[in-house]
Amino acid sequence: MEEKLIAFITHEFLSDDNVEITEDTKLISSGLIDSFSLVSLQTFINKEFGKRIPAPKITAESFDTIRQMIKIIEQF
Amino acid sequence: MFSDLYYFPYLIITVCIYWLLPKQSLRTAFLTLSSYGFIWYFDPKAVYVVLALTVFTYLIASWMKKSRQTGLIHKIGIIGLLLVLILFKYLGFLAGIINSLLSFFHSLPVFNIEELFLPLGISYLIFKYVSYLTDIHWKVVTKGKFLDFACYGSLFTIFMAGPIERFERLKPQLENGTAKFKREYLDFAFGRIAFGLFRKLVLADWIGYFINPVWHHPDHYSAIFRVVAFFCYSFQIYFDFAGYSDIAIGSSRLFGLKIMENFDNPYQATNISQFWRRWHISLSDWIRDYLFFPMSQNRTSKLWLTFFVPVIAMGLCGLWHDAAWQYVLWGAWHGLGISLLQYWHKYSKRNKITIPVIISQAATFFFVTLGWAIFKNGTGLLSAMVSIKGAIFCLIAWLLYCLVMKVQIPLYFKQRRLITSIVLLMGAIVLFCGANTGFIYGKF
Repeated sequence: MEEKLIAFITHEFLSDDNVEITEDTKLISSGLIDSFSLVSLQTFINKEFGKRIPAPKITAESFDTIRQMIKIIEQF
Repeated sequence: MFSDLYYFPYLIITVCIYWLLPKQSLRTAFLTLSSYGFIWYFDPKAVYVVLALTVFTYLIASWMKKSRQTGLIHKIGIIGLLLVLILFKYLGFLAGIINSLLSFFHSLPVFNIEELFLPLGISYLIFKYVSYLTDIHWKVVTKGKFLDFACYGSLFTIFMAGPIERFERLKPQLENGTAKFKREYLDFAFGRIAFGLFRKLVLADWIGYFINPVWHHPDHYSAIFRVVAFFCYSFQIYFDFAGYSDIAIGSSRLFGLKIMENFDNPYQATNISQFWRRWHISLSDWIRDYLFFPMSQNRTSKLWLTFFVPVIAMGLCGLWHDAAWQYVLWGAWHGLGISLLQYWHKYSKRNKITIPVIISQAATFFFVTLGWAIFKNGTGLLSAMVSIKGAIFCLIAWLLYCLVMKVQIPLYFKQRRLITSIVLLMGAIVLFCGANTGFIYGKF
């Protein structure tokens, strides 16, 4: 799950493919991922893992790092 | 509301009684009653509407809990709430559109619809209740006790102009309220209210005092005055609404309640999407969660996702402000900005283009300021600002803002909270002097 999320985020959102992200890199609060673009991340999670994460859970507080994302995905 | 003479005495008395009550359930009941009393003082008719909507929404939530058809019941609830909003706020606007269409066919009759009264805080209340029902449907929150829900809907400190708080955040605070009043509540509230009053009564109202005549009669003033008035409105509306939010957040803290932040230095955003993460945060989060995401789900068309969704969602966000085309256009302007930004991100990524932060910030501020001209229906000033003078003044105004807001006030505020609060409060009282113009966002 972690590898798939990192690969998707790097390809879809990061302007520089050489930037490395870890499971604790802050993605939303640091501005790496634009909040209006998060819908494609939600769609990816739905298609790839079969989980629909409610929009209010996809916030800078609870969905900011890969580690937090995995925790939320596992809850639903 | 906060500039009303009776607000602060009412707040202090309510806070004192609230903390004298022995149990949290009694406190919540008292806070709800006080909130209804407050709404009644400003708009007696609104009390019936708020009460009816609260009972209706809670009944729908209870029905959702018992039934398996939660999707259908959720839709019934949302449609019911939106119909009430349309009935009170948009009926005249819709009749105007229908009449314009009918005017093409001379033989057809024209609708004459008497507009109903607009209950106080109805737009904010409906948005809160839509989020409540949708969050229950999405299993983000449970329906809670009726008393907690009624308190969430009517809480007088945030009733009139937000922040549009979510039940998910307020519910645990009402359920597990602290047993005793804490000194930190007073420290926080005093500082925040003083800061809010300063932003509203000194900064926003005095800017308004000087620029309103220019906005009303742009032809009577030279180009430089029009340019100054044009940019100063960006600061007037920011200080006005952020000041309001400071007072709302500070007042709520006196009851031990933590309300979400509504602003985060919006004019320092480096793009329009980031601006909406910093400006009226509770509204932009609402638009994102309950319009943007549902409209985008299960759609694959790139044009729909990158153009139509932002423009339609932001256009509706504009319409929420008031039933007039200027607000729809203002929202669509921001939607267009978000759409273009997504194309720009792809283009800059492909071509490895990076823009200095200061240029991005100034460009975003300029874009937002142009939007305020549409919002205020002041296109008469547009011609004055699309000039070299306009661009130079934009940069100066924005740099001044950075200097004052980013560097000085927050720094003093952190180190000398009490002294800064007293100075700001004194400044607000001394400089009040009748320039008070009411809250811009209070009318929505």
